[in-house]
Amino acid sequence: MLTTIAWRNIWRARTRSGVVIGAIILGIWALVFMISFTTGMVQSYVDNAIATSIGHLQVHQDSFREEPKLIYSFTTDDETLQYLGELEGVAGAAPRTLVDAMAGSSRSTRGVQIRGIDPAAEIPVTGLDQQVVEGEYFPEKGRNPVLISQALANKLKVKIRSKVVLTFQDKNLEITAGAFRVVGLFNTGNKPFDEGNVFVRRSDINRLLGEEQMAHELAFFLNDPQRLGAVQQEVQAKLPDLLVEDYRQVAPDLQLYEGQIQTSATIFMVIIMLALLFGIINTMLMAVLERYRELGMLMAVGMNKVRVFGMIVLETLFLAVLALIPGLLLGWLTVVWLADTGIDLSAFSGGLSQFGMSQIVYPQLQAGFYVQLALAVALTALIGALYPAWRAIRLRPVEAIRKI
Amino acid sequence: MSIIKTRGVTKVYNPDKIPVHALRGVDLDIEAGEFTAIVGPSGSGKTTLLNIIGGLDRPSGGSVSVGGTSIGELSDNQLIDFRKENIGFVFQAYNLIPVLTAQENVEFVMLLQKRSAEERHQRSEELLAAVGLEDQINKRPAEMSGGQQQRVAVARALAPKPTFILADEPTANLDSASTTNLLDIMARLNQEEGVTFVFSTHDQRVIDRARRVVTLDDGQIIKDEVRK
Repeated sequence: MLTTIAWRNIWRARTRSGVVIGAIILGIWALVFMISFTTGMVQSYVDNAIATSIGHLQVHQDSFREEPKLIYSFTTDDETLQYLGELEGVAGAAPRTLVDAMAGSSRSTRGVQIRGIDPAAEIPVTGLDQQVVEGEYFPEKGRNPVLISQALANKLKVKIRSKVVLTFQDKNLEITAGAFRVVGLFNTGNKPFDEGNVFVRRSDINRLLGEEQMAHELAFFLNDPQRLGAVQQEVQAKLPDLLVEDYRQVAPDLQLYEGQIQTSATIFMVIIMLALLFGIINTMLMAVLERYRELGMLMAVGMNKVRVFGMIVLETLFLAVLALIPGLLLGWLTVVWLADTGIDLSAFSGGLSQFGMSQIVYPQLQAGFYVQLALAVALTALIGALYPAWRAIRLRPVEAIRKI
Repeated sequence: MSIIKTRGVTKVYNPDKIPVHALRGVDLDIEAGEFTAIVGPSGSGKTTLLNIIGGLDRPSGGSVSVGGTSIGELSDNQLIDFRKENIGFVFQAYNLIPVLTAQENVEFVMLLQKRSAEERHQRSEELLAAVGLEDQINKRPAEMSGGQQQRVAVARALAPKPTFILADEPTANLDSASTTNLLDIMARLNQEEGVTFVFSTHDQRVIDRARRVVTLDDGQIIKDEVRK
């Protein structure tokens, strides 16, 4: 019957209960939305970085990570590459030759990094062919083709079939240059990356460098990221003299961003829960003070303090649960809907692409967060109930009964 | 045998500031089966005496024994349990639980006594029938008149099978017909089932029906009249 009393008490002041329930629903929904949006945004940055340049795993010579010089290379053979590309969970393994260079057109010059790639091997790793928005992705015919981004094309004032001269040091540290023909323009959506990188065939750049089997980097993209650790071990076993790192080690900023998701979630949650806490305390305190005489009567006829305390706590928990279920449901539905349609931020695309983020953010939230949120709301309600319940048991029946 | 015994009971409010002596050495014995009215002018100490007898307040001096238990020696929690098992309360403002039906209100104290659902249900129906509310058991207080609410309060007070019932100005908010009806019910319960009633009242209609009238003035018993 205590449960019955607690439940019915909620509906005695429908407007007041409705307002606090509505506030909790709104708070939960806002929290779910904000955190899923933040997660989606950060994840888009991480995914973009993995998909367009870093991959899930990278292999380098130890010294190259310290100082990315041309001489810190390693050699690859087709048999090893085939073995690594066929490991369980690996979608592709792409060797790259990386050279700092000046890209010059008849109108302008820019500092870039030449990324010498095997066009076929690069496709499953970065999906670069899908990023080509004009022209072709390394046609079979034609000498020294180069892919540059639309952004760089604008800077260099070149277009498809224009000639671009790439100037760099060869393995003897002599300045050398090669004339390349623009065959395609790409756009990854990551502006800093696009403006700073050009793609050529690895065979072409290696020939100019004077080392046919040279590579500075071997990048892996996994179709099963859960196997990241296992694949890392298997690659390391195959290439014991090289440094095998996952994307967090290669780009610590990605790890930082991933960590930021949890930090932001915690900050958002604390702020919202504090607001809910004061709302709950206010509502329940009013409920207790309004029912002072009734509570006095309950204690007069034999209801002990533990039960009175429990009744107030129970009422508060009912309020929270009543709000929690629709709040979580509403939040979940919003995330499910937006995870499918995305939130188009193209109005801010300039700023977003500067930071390597997508124009369309797909909010996402792990199932565990809903559980965390439910526990946080329940805990907040419990804490919010303590003071009103304490006030309730502090009353003296003899005074409360006569209170008007 | 006395079920209520007070000896030299005093009560002083604000003892450290401006002391107000509400009771000045009250000696009172009430036997089982009595139908007693405690009367007196406002401020005479009626309600204070009832609160002390009912274990809702503690005396400043003297002793109170109910059913052989010296209630002054009980802790707050023990007092709550003592009230639950031994004393039925009827308040001036009814003080029913507004979110419960008449039957649930009557069952409530029995629930605190951990009686079985079947027993609670059966006894609450019997008690509501005894106060003439068998057709109102599913109504909430707001759906009943003042007289009906006070009859529910009487049924609730009887539910735990208390040693006695304390009624503080039970008819103060009732009209004449409801007062008569309520007094008839309480008198019948007293005569037929031996329930002990102790009232504090100003109401002459209650005083006229009482079989013992204790008059207080300025915190002292000035008259104790037993009627045949």
